[in-house]
Amino acid sequence: MRWTMEDLDLLDEKEIHQLEKRVDRLMSVWQIQNLRGNAAVFHDDQHIGEQRRELNALNYPGVDAEGILEFRRKPVVDSLEGNMLIHPLTTPVVEVDESNTKARGVWWSLGIEGLSISREIPTAIISVGMVPGAHVKVDGEWKILWGAWQRTAKNEYHAGWVESMIPTNTRPPLTPEQDRQGFGRYAYQKDRVRKAVPLPPESDTWNNFPDEWDQNWMTKAHL
Amino acid sequence: MVERKRKENLLAALNRLEAWHEIQNEMGRITAAFNFKQKDVVENHFALNLEDVSLEYADEGRFEGPEAVKAALDQLMGEPAKPGEMIDLQLTTPMIEVADDGQTAKCVWWCPGIGASVDDKGAHALWIWGQIAVDFIYLNEKWKIWHLHYFRLINCAYEKGWVEDLSRINRVNKAMHPQSLPSTYHNPYSPLSIRDGIPCAPRPYKTYTEKDRYWELSRDKR
Repeated sequence: MRWTMEDLDLLDEKEIHQLEKRVDRLMSVWQIQNLRGNAAVFHDDQHIGEQRRELNALNYPGVDAEGILEFRRKPVVDSLEGNMLIHPLTTPVVEVDESNTKARGVWWSLGIEGLSISREIPTAIISVGMVPGAHVKVDGEWKILWGAWQRTAKNEYHAGWVESMIPTNTRPPLTPEQDRQGFGRYAYQKDRVRKAVPLPPESDTWNNFPDEWDQNWMTKAHL
Repeated sequence: MVERKRKENLLAALNRLEAWHEIQNEMGRITAAFNFKQKDVVENHFALNLEDVSLEYADEGRFEGPEAVKAALDQLMGEPAKPGEMIDLQLTTPMIEVADDGQTAKCVWWCPGIGASVDDKGAHALWIWGQIAVDFIYLNEKWKIWHLHYFRLINCAYEKGWVEDLSRINRVNKAMHPQSLPSTYHNPYSPLSIRDGIPCAPRPYKTYTEKDRYWELSRDKR
């Protein structure tokens, strides 16, 4: 279906204004989905340090740009080959604020990985999680303000997610306790009741939590 | 009084949003038809009236032109399904850019999937994951596939997984289809492969030109 100018000529100024606002916010949902897809592509790519367009809002007040860049440059494996981080994005819930400058989103993901730290035969990994985060419009373009991977399961393929939990790969390696305080904070544990985190953003999320840095929306459905 | 330019911008945005929605539905229908092995339905989604319509499938080569595309689909889906056979690809991670002129769109989906193959020992469960890059073109008020490229990521026995079973990541050594042209890219996961962000995410663009062909293979991430 294509809209025509005749369709728009039937609308008065107020209706045009309302339609413009709605269209702009829907365009933002689309652009944010593209942005997060692009981030998934970059996450899988193994060429750390390579020049690439910036997806994060590095110049936004409060962003630790140097910390982000330093984290990105750190090699955590010796070998390029055999490593893979495929985290497909599903189940999107995206809410854009009235000003069309801030947006929250949560995606779920059922993914696969290959991990070879020191050129050993890779480990096949099932990687399940969520991607919660906030986004801001900077110079007309949507950028990631914060939010990355939240693990549900990261298990050796044959062992399954009940018996196996592989910690986030860092140098030096994390202890299981350290891992549970970080990316593994909400990960599956067979002796625990699952916590409902992150909740998807509600349609009134920006009324209830107007600060883009506020993360309480992920744990509280309503104030 | 709303100025003309403002209305033109709104009109363009509305039509691009409609395109975004229609293309996702179209790709969903094509994927369902592919999974159900409905060759004629899949074929009807291609812009077969265009000389440069194309299909590239993993390492089976590139098929250029209407007759070659039909031949490729016949190779992929021409045989009736055997009991126990299955392919079940799913579309996730949509990255869609509709041209400013609204006539074309560049798209990528990541496709987790499962399948089953059959031999004289019975049916065998498979993981079948890949990515799809597509150029859509708007013809006669319908979005049609202009160029489609399926990238294989893994294709392995379920019980072994993608590290142990590499037997299906490359085609067997039998003659290529006579209408195939050399593949542009084939880099499935293996313990020795290196991931390099291909297909890349499409970037906003005004109108599709000759230089846009194979945009999905760009390694330049700037």
